[in-house]
Amino acid sequence: MISRYHRPASLEEVFDLLATDGVASVLMAGGTVVNATEYPDIEVIDLQDVCPDAIVESGDRLVIGAMARLQDIVDNAGVPPLLRKLAHREGPNTLRHSATIGGTVAGADWESELLAGLLVHRATAEVRRREGSLTIGIADLFADPAASSGGIIASISVEVGGATAAARTGRTPADTAIVAAIGRVTRDGLLLALTGVASTPVLITRDAVEALVPPADFRGSSDYRRNLARVLTGRVVDQLGGAV
Amino acid sequence: MNISVTLNGENRSFECRPHESLRAILRRDGLFSVRFGAETGETGADAVLLDGRLVSSEILLAAQADGHTIETLEGLNRPRGLHPIQEAFVTAGAIQSGYSTPAMILAAKALLDRNPDPTEVEVRDALSGILDRETGYLRPVHAVLRAAAMLRGETPAAIEPAVIDPLVDRGGNPDFERVDPPLDLPALAPRVIPSPEVPETQVVGKSERKVDAIMLAKGHPAFVDDIELRGMLYAKMLYSPYAHARIVSIDDSKARALPGVRAVLHHENVARVRYASGGQSYPNPLPYDQVSFDNKVRHVGDRVAAVAADSIEIAEAAVRLINVEYEVLPAVYDENEAISGNAPIIHDEPDMEGAHDASRNIVHHIEAEVGDVAAGLAGADRVFERTFRVHQVQQAPIEPHIAISWLDSDERLVIRTSTQVPFHVRRMLAPLLGLPIRQIRIIKPRIGGGFGVKQEMLIEDIVGHLTLATGRPVRLELNRQEEFVSSRTRHPQTITFTTGVTNDGTLVAQQMRMVGNTGPYGTHALTVQMVSGLRGLSSYNCPNKKFDCDVAYTNVPVAGAYRGYGAPQALFALESHMEDIASELGIDVLAFRRRNWTKVGDPLDVAAELGEGAAEMNFIPVVTSSGMDECVVQGQRAVEWHRRYDPEWIRPADRPHIRRGLGFAMCMHGSAISGLDMGGASLKINDDGSFNLLFGATDLGTGADTILAQIAAEVLGVATEDIIVYAADTDVTPFDVGAYASSTTYVSGMAVKKAAEDVRRQIAERAAVMLDLDSPGEVELHDRGAFATDGRSVTLAEVALHSLHQDNQHQIMATASYVAPESPPPYAAQFAEVEVDIETGQVTVNALVMAVDCGVPINPMTSAGQVEGGMIQALGYGHCEEMAFDENGRMVNARFGPYKLYRSDEMPRIEAYLVQTMEKSGPFGAKAIAEIPKDGVAPAIRNAIFNATGRQIDSLPFTPERVWRALQ
Repeated sequence: MISRYHRPASLEEVFDLLATDGVASVLMAGGTVVNATEYPDIEVIDLQDVCPDAIVESGDRLVIGAMARLQDIVDNAGVPPLLRKLAHREGPNTLRHSATIGGTVAGADWESELLAGLLVHRATAEVRRREGSLTIGIADLFADPAASSGGIIASISVEVGGATAAARTGRTPADTAIVAAIGRVTRDGLLLALTGVASTPVLITRDAVEALVPPADFRGSSDYRRNLARVLTGRVVDQLGGAV
Repeated sequence: MNISVTLNGENRSFECRPHESLRAILRRDGLFSVRFGAETGETGADAVLLDGRLVSSEILLAAQADGHTIETLEGLNRPRGLHPIQEAFVTAGAIQSGYSTPAMILAAKALLDRNPDPTEVEVRDALSGILDRETGYLRPVHAVLRAAAMLRGETPAAIEPAVIDPLVDRGGNPDFERVDPPLDLPALAPRVIPSPEVPETQVVGKSERKVDAIMLAKGHPAFVDDIELRGMLYAKMLYSPYAHARIVSIDDSKARALPGVRAVLHHENVARVRYASGGQSYPNPLPYDQVSFDNKVRHVGDRVAAVAADSIEIAEAAVRLINVEYEVLPAVYDENEAISGNAPIIHDEPDMEGAHDASRNIVHHIEAEVGDVAAGLAGADRVFERTFRVHQVQQAPIEPHIAISWLDSDERLVIRTSTQVPFHVRRMLAPLLGLPIRQIRIIKPRIGGGFGVKQEMLIEDIVGHLTLATGRPVRLELNRQEEFVSSRTRHPQTITFTTGVTNDGTLVAQQMRMVGNTGPYGTHALTVQMVSGLRGLSSYNCPNKKFDCDVAYTNVPVAGAYRGYGAPQALFALESHMEDIASELGIDVLAFRRRNWTKVGDPLDVAAELGEGAAEMNFIPVVTSSGMDECVVQGQRAVEWHRRYDPEWIRPADRPHIRRGLGFAMCMHGSAISGLDMGGASLKINDDGSFNLLFGATDLGTGADTILAQIAAEVLGVATEDIIVYAADTDVTPFDVGAYASSTTYVSGMAVKKAAEDVRRQIAERAAVMLDLDSPGEVELHDRGAFATDGRSVTLAEVALHSLHQDNQHQIMATASYVAPESPPPYAAQFAEVEVDIETGQVTVNALVMAVDCGVPINPMTSAGQVEGGMIQALGYGHCEEMAFDENGRMVNARFGPYKLYRSDEMPRIEAYLVQTMEKSGPFGAKAIAEIPKDGVAPAIRNAIFNATGRQIDSLPFTPERVWRALQ
């Protein structure tokens, strides 16, 4: 249960709270995950006053404030179309009006299509710590969640441009995908990401799909998920056609 | 801590604790329109506007809202009248139980504030966060579009029924090969195919607005939880973490020592009284295999202990402090394994009563035969056999089980509870609590959906015990996870059909062998399985029929009543099997069925063997009305059935991995349990010529209160608004068995009609005196008056004043009750259109069309709503809903999302047609409509997949991996 609620007014206050000994602190952005989870005693640190929510262009990249709600991304014409669509797919509108991009990245949900979209847009997270800022690829963050510990994700920066495509399989049209494949063609070639085949969304090469050993659950066995990965990546490549 | 917010336009401060949700403090402030649906926020019943955005207030801390602006539905309410969005919801028939209506109206407001002219897609997106288990979203979505037009200053057209010409000549044969272009009809218009046999009526047959529309549209306090009682305690249950275990010891000392804990109950301190929890007529069917608390647990989520404390937080903390030592036992989950003779024995206690063979986990063995099936099969030209498996799902009303109990000033126990069966609950509760029935009063207020899961005495004994132990009011509400695993579910079954036919496609013998899985308790075990047999063997004529069934105890969560009550399982198997036989014989699937299906005058011989009221039945009923032919051809046109024969349509050239298909299922249900279900009603006149109508029937959101008022109004020649309904309070209203078995319209409706006819007679007698007529037979009631044949009249208000105050004073009133000797079947044709992705197995359902013969729909709008919403529940059953378990019997998806309910933004096209027939035994020609929409969707989808891919899939649901494996 949440025993204390903090709403710090500055990053310094956040760092002080995170450094408090003997206290289990949880950072909260929109709160949709924290408030739907049962914890033993925790203190929450609400970031609504310290994290930006603006979405601004920065050269060939777009910087999305960590507190930007998913619906802000859906509604912003400057955001790459694929990311707008995937932000929309992330949940129904009540959830999109609460959940944030920062919280979504921190959650690293293995089924998040938006995160797969961020991966192919070469998203980086700006992690702020008392000792300074650090820019880290979100793929690295997924691989090593400790990379942001003691700090907060202040913003997510994505590369814009490039042809994109997506394919998915779910039980119903708005169901969370069992497996989704997202592709983007850049000057350097094809970037592919998959959900539902590993503990987090992953960047992957086509050749590596056959070697996947996805975790199984009631919606899909490991074999089935591997089949979906093969079929869906094939479709994404086909959709991208000449661009690949 | 203290927070400051702008709430509905006012600056407000609230004290709150750090963990408290915004919903908690809003409700504490009396804003009861903000409702609980799930602790994880997915239902959206708790939605509010935060800075103009629709958010779930359950997963928003009150503290997070500090400094922000909050709007609830109460902020939209006007002292009199309705906001245009509310008005549109009422007019469009968008409100059923109304539990989530406030959230939907707020969603509409948020959308229309920024986009006054939204598209349907945008409206569906705006409603996507509010799960609706009742309407199928069609009417809410179009209500929002209607509200948008109203707010733009337009005057939308009145919603009139679309009256459609019949396609089948009366007495003629249908032409299943004709191709008609589909009709283009307004979305909200109820589609009615009239019958010339139906007499003209004034109120019946009209889409009257619901009698509870205002309270529901405005979010007024109306549901169980919407009251405040001083000194109320909060209850919390301790549930078993094991599928099968003996309780070795239970130590509640730490829990009792926690300040604020007022009672801790478990098997050591609660009397052991055997009962069956299903809400059914006296005497409840065996077995009596439950007690309030046992020394053994038999499924994950089974009861262990209950706590009442000063706050829910203290109760939760106390539950964690109860120390239980378990001896974990082997468990069995599959029904066939459970009865194999090599399974752990689930009921080994010596005092359980009424199981067929507890040592083999067989609760019931049911056999029934008409004719001689063995001989029939032996003489058949062809014999077909196929086995089907249906899975476990949950009813998932958005309002979970909740009950509040207290002692009134006479120290009688009052329980306000979300139940379908208040009178059964009162009777069944008395022995458990050691009270005489007269010491108990059960009140059913508005309830947020039931679908059968509330045809159960599920938590009322807990709050009753706790109130008696403490003398204090006690509230117990299940959370969503508990609702999944600790309430009731639909029975999984294994069903094998064996059918003998002649070469020309005539059924000569049909056998249905079934193993039902009731979980560890036999509530509804006998009757659900009997109805499976009844429904599985009633649709088609066949001289030799046999039902052979075992019902198994297992360690999955308990199965019980769920809308359809055994029929959806049976008809999935039957209609799949019939499709396959037609296909094997090379006969058109519709023609094959029609050759065999029951028609007017045909005997319903199995009903006399297997109906729940079969024991009371000393005759073989026959079909007295059927619109089946018309249902089929109307549905064919609406779904463009001819495409199923077009290979280019089945294989769209631009999408090589897609196959399309159309499927059909015939549906037949019943109207009440004949000879058993009884409803009572009483009616009295007031000074102004209005009437109080009291009955025991329980409106779950279906509109029952409204159609019963319409029936009374029709008889009395008044408007529906002249009838003031109060229902389902055991101290005040007449008895009724409650809302189940599709009985309310047919049985309770007849009781209301009889009471109203008696009142009409009394009014006529009084009016004859007032008008100086020789005979009351010369008086007719209409237009709120009593009219003589010469045109002279008195108003009903004058009649009332005369009889109450002026001369030979007399309270004009009457009470009547009704029990039906028969259960005339409603019929329906269910169609589905699907797309199958043959590389992934993903099935997309594009359209569901159902044409239903429910006799005369008393209220076409609410009838259409029943069909639209019922089809979507049925779609969940066939397509995506399933309770999934790990190897220890723990449900792994007890949360919406993983347990997938359809959302507003992913719906197939849905369309309901109402094919009128005149069922002379029903009130104004009505039969039932409540359950039949649940029966045909799963087999129609299965048969559409067969049409699309050539693969027959015999287990549910049609999730991608299952379909993909079938395609390999």
